[in-house]
Amino acid sequence: MKNTETISPQVCKIIHIPEKPSFLPHLQPTVNVLAAVIEPKDANTLVRKLNQIAPLENLRHVKRVLKKCIDGGKPQLSLLLCMAVENDGEVDHMPSEILELVKSYQLSTFITQVCKYAATSKEEWDEQCKLWPTSYHPPTYNISGITGFSEEESQSVFGFMRHTINLATSVGQVVNAAVIVDPSTKQVIASACDQVISSASLANEVSKEGSCSNYLENLKASNLENHQTSLLDSSVGEFKHITINVACVHPWRWALQSSGCGCPLRHAAIVAIEYSAARDLQLFPDHKTLSPLKRQKIESDFHSYQSLRPYLCTGYDIYLAWEPCAMCAMALVHQRVRRIFFSFPNPNAGALGSVHRLQGERSLNHHYAVFRVMLPEEVFRNKIAEAKISGSG
Amino acid sequence: MASYAKETFEFMKLALEQAKDALVNLEVPVGCVIVEDAEVIASGRNRTTETRNATRHAEMEAIDFLVEQWQKNGLSALEVSERFSKCILYVTCEPCIMCAAALSYLGIKEVYYGCGNDKFGGCGSILSLHTSCPELPSSELASSKKGFKCTGGIMASEAVSLLRSFYEQGNPNAPKPHRPLKPQV
Ligand SMILES: [Zn+2]
Ligand SMILES: [Zn+2]
Repeated sequence: MKNTETISPQVCKIIHIPEKPSFLPHLQPTVNVLAAVIEPKDANTLVRKLNQIAPLENLRHVKRVLKKCIDGGKPQLSLLLCMAVENDGEVDHMPSEILELVKSYQLSTFITQVCKYAATSKEEWDEQCKLWPTSYHPPTYNISGITGFSEEESQSVFGFMRHTINLATSVGQVVNAAVIVDPSTKQVIASACDQVISSASLANEVSKEGSCSNYLENLKASNLENHQTSLLDSSVGEFKHITINVACVHPWRWALQSSGCGCPLRHAAIVAIEYSAARDLQLFPDHKTLSPLKRQKIESDFHSYQSLRPYLCTGYDIYLAWEPCAMCAMALVHQRVRRIFFSFPNPNAGALGSVHRLQGERSLNHHYAVFRVMLPEEVFRNKIAEAKISGSG
Repeated sequence: MASYAKETFEFMKLALEQAKDALVNLEVPVGCVIVEDAEVIASGRNRTTETRNATRHAEMEAIDFLVEQWQKNGLSALEVSERFSKCILYVTCEPCIMCAAALSYLGIKEVYYGCGNDKFGGCGSILSLHTSCPELPSSELASSKKGFKCTGGIMASEAVSLLRSFYEQGNPNAPKPHRPLKPQV
């Protein structure tokens, strides 16, 4: 990026959406917890009991015990009991099992702070441990290998995103669209739009659609926005009218369609995954479905067969007009997609930074890199106007 | 252990049967049944290997079967939603984040699961998608997030031992064209 001060709506941008909101190491968000100083001889028993009655569900990275050396070198152990109840540190507000433990071991409790998110760098971890010890697992993949975009690759990303927006506005209504791409060959593997609303309902609802001018204003604002942490803060209200049929933005709304019934779970990404799986089966059939002759041929070409056949969507990218919901984002984890590009944040139900942040859930067995792609506003103005004209015609 | 109605175990046994069927077919052994008015109306098991589609979990199989049936019968979207709101899912493993989100979108009434899913679980293990979200504006109640009641630990050891035997025999859901062939169902 040459000069971020003079960004015009003409500029295309690719912005990495990190595994967690970005903070300076010493400004990481914290949460209050309830802790108590304990006798070292009780430590093992107490930790075991607590892991049973009050596991640290949302603080898996935080250690149970803090060891401090006080004057004279004698170690003092503090034990994390549980999350502190909001703005109230009184003892009678803790869960009853913990209260029992506190009474039987005659613990005196205190409120302290621990870091809310697991550290993603050594620097963060060092800062975290100044508050309360945490564990640190270095990233399982090397983000630098997949974030650097050459000029040629950027142009290809913008091109596929334009194609995706076209698709999202091509069905007489604004919906979500998904395009799975093999970046090594720049080939589209599969593409799909939402199939949640039945066609009968779509026709009925087009006439009820409100003005899209607010939406365009909002798009303009969010496209001009260049401060990374506030990129996802768009207001829900302004987007409402135009996004009303975008399945990932309103996943609970399918039941309200006026006539017929579409498929409530056929969000664009789910359908695109299905198409790419079907393509895989067609191009690389199971041996059992082949004629003996073909099977022989394939087995003699065994090595090329194996190197050609993709494993799920490993190595593929997916383009989505809107940030996917939790169902779609997790489907993309399951299908092993390598990178996700989306254009519009989904403050209602987005799972890649807006409401949840699946790319930061360390327990998952696969991690993709996530990017928001900013395109010039004109792309949408024209497309949405076209969608409205063809929809009401 | 808390006491559950006898039928809870009966339905979970049926879900376990589905999981065993998955195992025989070299799929990750997770199975489920969907029950409406004490009657099983759908069942499903993993089909990720067969379909090469890693989203074809037991829950999705059973849900898609129901939606298709109800569409054939000409039910409206509202009627489909009303039917789901009476359904109970019995599944051998805690629904993953994808399936838990789907169950919330459909507005299912209740879920009983066997073992927890500490890598992908969407009903408390990693995310808690089954709890309703009070911060959302209530103006659009009918279309806003719905929670469902969720109880885990039903016949968990049976569910775990099926999974264990699957992973001991090696994961066939990897790119191996020479995997042993099983008769088609
Ligand atoms: Zn979705
Ligand atoms: Zn699942």
